Amino acid sequence: MIFNSEISGQQQHTTSPVVTGGSVIALVYNGGVIVGTDTLCSYGSMAAFKNVQKIAQISKNTIYASSGEYSDFQQVVKELAKIDRSALQYDDGVHPSPKDYGNFLARLSYKKRCKINPLYLQNVIAGFHNGERYLGLIDIYGTYLESNFITTGFASYFCKAIISNYWNENCTLDQAKQVIRECFKVLFCRDCRAHDVIQLAYVDAQGAHIEESERVETKWDFNGFKSRANEKLHTQ
Amino acid sequence: MLKHLYDTDCVTWSPQGKLFQVEYAMEAVKQGSICLGLKSSENVVLCSLKRQPSELAGYQEKQFKIDDHMAIAIAGLTADARVLCKYMRTECLEYKYTYESHHPVGRLVFKVAEKSQHKTQSGAKRPYGVGLLVAGIDPNGVHLFETCPSGNYYEYKCQAIGSRSQAARTYFESWFHLFEKSTLEQLVLHGLSAIKKAIMEDEELNEKNVEVGILGKNLKFTHLNAQELKDYIAKLEGFNPNSQIQQE
Repeated sequence: MIFNSEISGQQQHTTSPVVTGGSVIALVYNGGVIVGTDTLCSYGSMAAFKNVQKIAQISKNTIYASSGEYSDFQQVVKELAKIDRSALQYDDGVHPSPKDYGNFLARLSYKKRCKINPLYLQNVIAGFHNGERYLGLIDIYGTYLESNFITTGFASYFCKAIISNYWNENCTLDQAKQVIRECFKVLFCRDCRAHDVIQLAYVDAQGAHIEESERVETKWDFNGFKSRANEKLHTQ
Repeated sequence: MLKHLYDTDCVTWSPQGKLFQVEYAMEAVKQGSICLGLKSSENVVLCSLKRQPSELAGYQEKQFKIDDHMAIAIAGLTADARVLCKYMRTECLEYKYTYESHHPVGRLVFKVAEKSQHKTQSGAKRPYGVGLLVAGIDPNGVHLFETCPSGNYYEYKCQAIGSRSQAARTYFESWFHLFEKSTLEQLVLHGLSAIKKAIMEDEELNEKNVEVGILGKNLKFTHLNAQELKDYIAKLEGFNPNSQIQQE
């Protein structure tokens, strides 16, 4: 955990996360960008907090989600909100674009990495500005990448094939949603720290929309489970 | 004549509600050689008259690039202008480093104004003796600002500061309604015409004593070079703003 206290006498460094969030998947579609996360915060291997919103709206046309240490997620949300509020302070109607937020977060992450005290997060900034779709990935070191699709955590291993086969950058919102739901279905089956309740949020020309959480479809009535075939083998 | 009772420092008001030190600082701006700025919907142009301290000397530059999208023209104490210029450049670089985009113009002018105001409220400091014309372009549009030693700042369609600037402002008052739709070339010619109103009888405009800087939505800040200046000054002879009205 990060302390900054004269009492303890020294600053500690984050070496491992405590309360963690799972994968984030983000895609562009023909009218904007869409981000999906599950709603679980794990305490190690315990599924401790099962109804957590891990997508935050930063400004009218920008949303932010991340996987990793949840308290760092909360801190980043505060830092990004500060920037938007400065527009009120200067009274000039100038609001940062999603790309500005992405770069700011990259600089912040890099600064903390240089002090060997990182924000333990893989961050995704998603937005729609001046008719252009924006997706940015900022990792724990402050590496900054823009892309048409982004996956963090285990989604990078399991979901790229699904995205590659069923998504393209000009698909509709519903198609993109289906791809993300399919990805989280697979993640729930394969990632031990995943959850079957997910949340989707998208940004289009009208602004940011964060939807209610939804349960992914899961299928457990396979014949193999029903007939308990393996048990028969063992008793022979 | 009782001014001297209340003008020792910035922390003394006069009975009439004036801060004389700040007013004296604004005099320094009025003593500087003229610089002016004007904008259209696409471009901003800065024109200044450069002074030559002596025949042996070069001409003092009056316009400085702050960033690709922003530049200033100064009138007053050049040394103070250097300080503000450095500050603005640093702020722009930091903003670019953090956000990878251009510093909003109004916001930087606000910061400069805050800095200037700070100097007017201290016993140990003096105000900056320089006025800036800040030309810049950001997502909010095309801007021309004036900053004052007092810490005030104003946005303008066109403005002239420095010595004999009233003559240039009078020219602007007659013609500024044309600027919005002017081309870049017309803007430069208007600027040079305005400067011409402000020079002494025995002086003449030439490519050595005039400085013109241009900025556009797709045009980074550049100074016109000597040849371009010569060409524009030559065009001044035949320049008639009335013909611009007929075009519209």
